[in-house]
Amino acid sequence: MIGSTSSRGRGRSLALVAAAVLTASGLVACGSGSSSGGSSGGAGSGGGTLVIDSSFDLKTVDPGREYELTGQMLTKGMYETLLTFANNDLTKPVGDLASSYTLSPDAKTLTLTLAQGRVFSDGTPITADDVVFSLQRLIGMKGNPSFLLDGVTVAKKDDSTVVLTSATPNAALPFILPNPALSVVNSKVVTANGGTTDEKDAAEKYLNGASAGSGPYVLKSLDVASQAVLTKNPKYNGPDKPAYDTVVIRNVKAATQVLNVQKGDSQVALDLSGDQVKSLNTGKVTVTSGPSAYTIFLLLNQGAAVSPATSNPQYVSAVKKAIDYAGLLGVAGTGAVQPAGIIPSLIAGTLPPSDALKQDVVGAKSALAASGMAGQKPKLAYPSDLTLNGLSFQTLAEKLQSQLAAAGIAIDLAPAPVATELDNYRNGKEQMGLWYWGPDFPDPSNYLAFAPGGLIGKRANWPATAAPEINAVATQAGATADTAQRDALYQQFQQSLNASGPFIPLVQPPSNVVTATSVTGATYNPIWTVDVGTIGAK
Amino acid sequence: MSAPSEPSSADGLVENGRDTDASPYGAGHPLVRYVLRRIGVSVLLVVGVTLVTFVLTNLVPGDTVAANLGQQAAADPTIVAAYRAHYGLDRPLSVQYLTYLGNLLHGDLGESQQTHRSVAADLSAAVPATLEIALGAIAASILIGVGFGVVAAVRRGHLADSALRLVSVLGISVPTFWLAMVAFYVFSYQLDIAPGSGRLSPATTAPPTVTGLYTVDSLLAGQWATFADAVAHLMLPTLVLTLYTVGLLTRFTRSAVLEVLDQDYVRSARAKGLPGGIVLLRYVLRAGLVPILTVVGLAFGALLSGTVLVEQIFSWPGMGSYAYQAASHLDLPGVMGVGLVVGVIYVLINLIVDLLYGVIDPRVRVG
Repeated sequence: MIGSTSSRGRGRSLALVAAAVLTASGLVACGSGSSSGGSSGGAGSGGGTLVIDSSFDLKTVDPGREYELTGQMLTKGMYETLLTFANNDLTKPVGDLASSYTLSPDAKTLTLTLAQGRVFSDGTPITADDVVFSLQRLIGMKGNPSFLLDGVTVAKKDDSTVVLTSATPNAALPFILPNPALSVVNSKVVTANGGTTDEKDAAEKYLNGASAGSGPYVLKSLDVASQAVLTKNPKYNGPDKPAYDTVVIRNVKAATQVLNVQKGDSQVALDLSGDQVKSLNTGKVTVTSGPSAYTIFLLLNQGAAVSPATSNPQYVSAVKKAIDYAGLLGVAGTGAVQPAGIIPSLIAGTLPPSDALKQDVVGAKSALAASGMAGQKPKLAYPSDLTLNGLSFQTLAEKLQSQLAAAGIAIDLAPAPVATELDNYRNGKEQMGLWYWGPDFPDPSNYLAFAPGGLIGKRANWPATAAPEINAVATQAGATADTAQRDALYQQFQQSLNASGPFIPLVQPPSNVVTATSVTGATYNPIWTVDVGTIGAK
Repeated sequence: MSAPSEPSSADGLVENGRDTDASPYGAGHPLVRYVLRRIGVSVLLVVGVTLVTFVLTNLVPGDTVAANLGQQAAADPTIVAAYRAHYGLDRPLSVQYLTYLGNLLHGDLGESQQTHRSVAADLSAAVPATLEIALGAIAASILIGVGFGVVAAVRRGHLADSALRLVSVLGISVPTFWLAMVAFYVFSYQLDIAPGSGRLSPATTAPPTVTGLYTVDSLLAGQWATFADAVAHLMLPTLVLTLYTVGLLTRFTRSAVLEVLDQDYVRSARAKGLPGGIVLLRYVLRAGLVPILTVVGLAFGALLSGTVLVEQIFSWPGMGSYAYQAASHLDLPGVMGVGLVVGVIYVLINLIVDLLYGVIDPRVRVG
């Protein structure tokens, strides 16, 4: 049994430990201020550490399996793709590991010529076999991003030529290839560590501990919950010379990012809202704001059994006219814009702003009266725990409810966590739904999901037979290779959606990239957020 | 989770008795028998925890495939089928549960759908991270909270009592996430006397893993700079958690001590002329320790399992953050792993608290 003497002895020990801890922390605290400021470096200064704060959604950095924003950003820094977007011009894919490409007139065959002399981080040359293995692995593993090459076969024509063949016309293929999920991996290294081109692939564990690519950085360490550390790839011989010796990407919530970037603990903050960037000291940081490529939209279910109100065309028209779109931008914050159609402003085929839906309260009231549904009170379902670039879906839903009420349209809010509400959304059970769409690849064909009978069309119980004329335009747009023709068709598609479709494009939330004033090249890209390889220092 | 309960004689505790035939601390010793029996019951409890967690997790409306696959992938039947097969979701629930139990016997907690790593590996990193702040917080809280509570009780009705009660109320009622934000803003951003978020500075490499506690591992490796960095990063989250627990312990200690102070034997001790300090330590505090110990046990359990908001603010990759991520993505193996660990923690704390009852109070001592 413990007596009083040993108790006193233990107390003294605790006091000594506490004193030692306090002394040590005091020493460190005194030193922390001076050390934090010296972490940046760059091309000009010949190294240093770049710290990027980001709110993680990271699962893996295996290129064939990752399909989350953080994974895309990290993979982009460690690997290269056949094609890419130079200077964030999303309308024109250019060569990366491929020096040139040709799409056949029927948009079924894409021929790529490989750049010569490029090497992986272990110094071995990149070959056509590596390209074929990488893409076949992506397809065969049936992972999250495998759908990107649905119906595509990959073959080596000769040592410097690879051919991608689609079963159906696929004019989007050059826009899909820059996706970091389609990165080229070192096939010998990956195969030696369990990599295959089917579902038996077991290389993910290895690729989460070491990279096997040709990008400007290599993976030093990864903890998907807290941080990834990249170091300079000494064998890199591509165009973007890495500016830093080390890049640390940390999982930090937006509220803490604000303080870290202003204090100098980090050099890049990626998740700040419009309100948060307003409060920043622009003498210490640089803020780059603009619209993101997300489209937040309202879905009105066309199934009469699900909702007699939202399946009524006049009711849909009333809702479209009742919304104060400019008022929603005020909620979204600096940098937000109203998408003129379902395709956001950054992507080819977008509508001019003059074609955007406009508020007309009088028209809304008359359409509501004509619908005979004034007494109905449909439920608006939305992911209440979701915040997109600082814009809370809860706030947005409340704003919509009040705007609709001003035009006499009563709705009930039905909030739910995203993980549970997704099921209702994907099964077409929501009467009204508030969701968003981020582009899988920056090509208008990705938005054919909103066509009648498309992926999202089905969720609105809007089959192809419900609007055959819109479906015909969508089908034609998807099969057209000529840029000017397809842009015109996608615009026609969106005009039809605005006129009679069950989707209402509401807002493109802002994207804010905040950097230390010493940092350059950190510009927003909807696919990989920022390209770590192009970030440099003044 | 159940609160630690005072053990009864029916649980194997014999009041004031001693089994003279048993060798000291051999298998026949009542204390050893009691501990073994409690461990046996604890194993059953833990199995019960896995069953309840499994059933509840599967009752949550929502599809784990929808929550973990992208929109396009979730619409592709071949990708969905591959996903379900990989995680065993294509098998009946009863088979899934029995498989889980079978794997558990080998220390396999399954693969997280959120991190694509083994849950055991995830938790072996997350639990020490939380343990590191919780241990510091509970140690500081006991020292400060019990001290404050005793002073408040002894000085009942005086200014010191009022002041300490105010501290207690503030500690309990101020939301920890707000306190964390304010502490971070003031000490790290404005005053710059504390480091930023995370367990270590970006330029510091984590020490070789032995215990997962960076302070201990850095000392074992002789990495003094890493140790100092780890301690500095510990200070703010530990301080925030300490303030809440101090409030709780101050309140309970005051109440427990006040109850004892009015007892006849305390008055008798004073009447005998014993010094005040002796009366307080040997008669009052010892008698009041049982309820205090109960609260300490509960508070420690809560610290280990409920630090999610503080961890979010300080970007601390602990168990709270892991649990939140697992739950919000319907990561069934992750949720099960967290449930299991939290269950084991509470069971262990209950066992330790029950044993300490015997140390403190002879009436419940094992004979």
